Amino acid sequence: MTIALPAQAAERAKFKLDYTVPVLAGFAAVLCVLVVLPVSWLIYYSVTIGDPASNVRVFTLAHFYTLFTDPAFVNPLLTTITVAVSSSVLCCAVAAPMGWLVARTDMPFRRTVRLLVTASFVTPPFLGAVAWEILAAPNSGLLNQLYRFVTGAPQDEHLFNIYSLSGLIFVITCYTFPYVFVLVANALDRIPADMEEASAMLGAGTWRTARRVTIPLALPALLAGILIAFLQAMILFGSPAILALPAGFHTMTTKIWSLFQYPPQPELAAAASLPLLVVTVMLLRAQHTILGRKGYTVLGGKNADPRLIKLGWLAVPAMTFVVAVISLPLFLPYFALFNAAFSPIATTLVTPANATLHNIYFTFVELSSTQLALNNTFILGAASATLGTVLALVIGYATARQAVTGHRVLGFLATAPIAIPGIVLGVGLFLSYTRPPLVLYGTLWVLLIAYVTIELPAAYQQLQSAFRAVNPELEDASRILGATRLQTLRRITAPLLRTNVLATWCFIFVSTIRELSAAIMLFTSETKVVSVLIFDLKESGELGAISVLGLSMLVLTFAVVIGVNRMPGFGGTRLRNT
Amino acid sequence: MAAVELRGLTKRYGEAAVVDRVSLTIEHGHLVCLLGPSGCGKTTTLRLIAGFVEPSEGEIRVGERLISSPANTVPPERRNMSMIFQSYALWPHMTVAENIVYGLKLRKLDRDTIGKKLDAILATTKLAPLAQRYPGELSGGQQQRVALARALIVEPETLLLDEPLSNLDANLREEMRFEVRRLHDAYRYTTVYVTHDQAEAMTTADLIAVMNAGKIEQAGTPEDIYDRPSSEFVARFIGSSNVIRGVGLAGGRVEFAGVPLRCVGAKVEAGASTPVSIRPHDIAISLRQPGDTDNLVPATVVRQVFLGGSRDYMVESKDGTQLRVVTAAAESIPQGSAVWLGLPPDRCRALTG
Repeated sequence: MTIALPAQAAERAKFKLDYTVPVLAGFAAVLCVLVVLPVSWLIYYSVTIGDPASNVRVFTLAHFYTLFTDPAFVNPLLTTITVAVSSSVLCCAVAAPMGWLVARTDMPFRRTVRLLVTASFVTPPFLGAVAWEILAAPNSGLLNQLYRFVTGAPQDEHLFNIYSLSGLIFVITCYTFPYVFVLVANALDRIPADMEEASAMLGAGTWRTARRVTIPLALPALLAGILIAFLQAMILFGSPAILALPAGFHTMTTKIWSLFQYPPQPELAAAASLPLLVVTVMLLRAQHTILGRKGYTVLGGKNADPRLIKLGWLAVPAMTFVVAVISLPLFLPYFALFNAAFSPIATTLVTPANATLHNIYFTFVELSSTQLALNNTFILGAASATLGTVLALVIGYATARQAVTGHRVLGFLATAPIAIPGIVLGVGLFLSYTRPPLVLYGTLWVLLIAYVTIELPAAYQQLQSAFRAVNPELEDASRILGATRLQTLRRITAPLLRTNVLATWCFIFVSTIRELSAAIMLFTSETKVVSVLIFDLKESGELGAISVLGLSMLVLTFAVVIGVNRMPGFGGTRLRNT
Repeated sequence: MAAVELRGLTKRYGEAAVVDRVSLTIEHGHLVCLLGPSGCGKTTTLRLIAGFVEPSEGEIRVGERLISSPANTVPPERRNMSMIFQSYALWPHMTVAENIVYGLKLRKLDRDTIGKKLDAILATTKLAPLAQRYPGELSGGQQQRVALARALIVEPETLLLDEPLSNLDANLREEMRFEVRRLHDAYRYTTVYVTHDQAEAMTTADLIAVMNAGKIEQAGTPEDIYDRPSSEFVARFIGSSNVIRGVGLAGGRVEFAGVPLRCVGAKVEAGASTPVSIRPHDIAISLRQPGDTDNLVPATVVRQVFLGGSRDYMVESKDGTQLRVVTAAAESIPQGSAVWLGLPPDRCRALTG
């Protein structure tokens, strides 16, 4: 019997070959296709030009020369820099005091404020831009009408003009400051109370402690927040397309988009995309350096309750400030959207007399493309969420458990898309998939690839940290008791990660619904999604329909999140951590 | 039949050998402790035995069966071993009972058998009232017992324990040491136990293998290791020991502070620097020169401390070497006194290296 054993073992080992290595190699290949392919085509196109005679591409730097000398490109470049700098400074000016008020003072309704700012994340920036159009267009804008009504100013005078550089900066700031706010507020949460107490013990008053200890400790987070705000403002497509184009100027993203209008100039678009790519990579590196390795952790226990500063009578101006700030991305725009949804004309106030459901009827019945766009959005959202979660799960497992050699490369590839702005990815994918062997342009597949690539980094980071939180000994214990690697994944790891997986799935789904910059480069009439449809409707001035669509997008979002969480077998498990 | 045998076992990460040519035979039913400081390679050795790590060189056999070699490593699930982890690794989403029967369910036993075995092990480990609780609701000691129960119920050929008591508080740890030994005596599984705590090793082990820098420095019974350390590392690591440096003389003696010491232990080479270990409580201390015996070293008392049950001296010999001496509490010699140290020849162990 003892002699037969080794042979038997060897035989079974051969039969039960470990599939992990080939499987993971396959995933690495998928990642390469997702990330490396579009970027390579982008770079290749930016430095070559097609020779019509021989059909061969030859090397040239002419595109870059045009990019940095032709006013048609230099002006958008300067505009982009102006917008990015101004809105990141504004973000900081608004978000830092708000973050501090919420995290470190006894201001009333602190939790509600946090919740509301987080909620403004859910609003797609392009929807916000449309809402602000309804509010502050020079002639018809609700706020301008109010101004004329109150002051009796003549019909051609206006208080705000959203179609302007300052208007654009304002709207971008509205939907970028939550990033800075969350970073600062979390950083302030994590400053241990004992550091402040030490300062207080040495005789420093509350305010002095705040000035000398608390604020310097939160400074890195603020700096990182500014960088993120800069980045967001730079790569945003929706808001400038909605506000800058009517005003007659371009930012880099709208310029790149316009290069794909007739006649298409993909080489110039590729060349114009590269600076965005390079600056993004640099900014992310800078942010990484500033925040250090632990900077991303939003989780993490508090040591002790922080010392809350008593505001006293200052609570009143503080609350006024906070409410005013939140009203800009949230209360006013949603008021405008609701109003437009039920009003015969978007910029007329709804009254019981003129309230109408015509917009809803028009959007869902008369407008032929709605059904298709909704279907596409839903299919793409679900598919991207599923595929993205699976990819993130496998790569997260491989890197967190260091299951294969080369797991670092996998991790790097999975995080790399974070540095590719949506519009740049759009250009890259356009160049990659309009040619054989894979002509995916014009199908939903190319959008799926775009969405998965865009959402992969965040999904991967979420799931990888979830894997890290699961002690590997939990898996080892299952193995040694007789379970194979797969059985262990199914019976131990999966149940422990269920909530995280679900959260990641919802996160991707929601982000996919609101994505516009890549979709705008890749859609065709058959593959329209809701965000693109909204953009189209804007061009034909259908503000009522946009409002209806925008609001139904949000309803869909919440419905999916709630629905998935209620699904039997998911959520609500009796999870207890040791 | 199921003796575990390690032959020239080596594990390298890059250039560094974490486990370096370890050979060890573990008799069937014995409990062997791998004892050493953190980073000495003991946990890696255990994980090699468990099959979580593949060896770079060497092999592991259970009975006649080859289970680990660089060419072929049987995965952990087919080794018929079980393991108790430092973190206990109880699955938080399963109740105590579900945790314990996990291994049996994998073995596809029928429901009645599983029920019977569960009841038996719950009784042995005094866990019956807690069967339906979740691990998060248990104290550290209870979690420890669940981990033991889960590992024992599958009746493994080999049981592996990785610092199982290090997360318990001091009192409980002392109690659990005896518990581990009691359960081992009851079940007699071949057991490999990893710890850095020498008291734990002394209490539980049939055989202690002291590890340092990836190598086994010495393997022997607790008495062997304590009374007859073969290297300076072992002498210092196990209990406290004075290790003095002398020079080998012809005839096997070692010259220390001008005194030719008679020693036991390793063979002494003339002219070679030779470490000699002697335990603090083996040294006799006296104000007057006691007769004409060997191994008398003159010294001065640097300080003395009264510890209640004993008295702890620090003395310095002529060449400046400081030695610790522990004597009965009654024997008080003031600081600064010139004294004679009697180093019993059978207690002076010449060491290698």
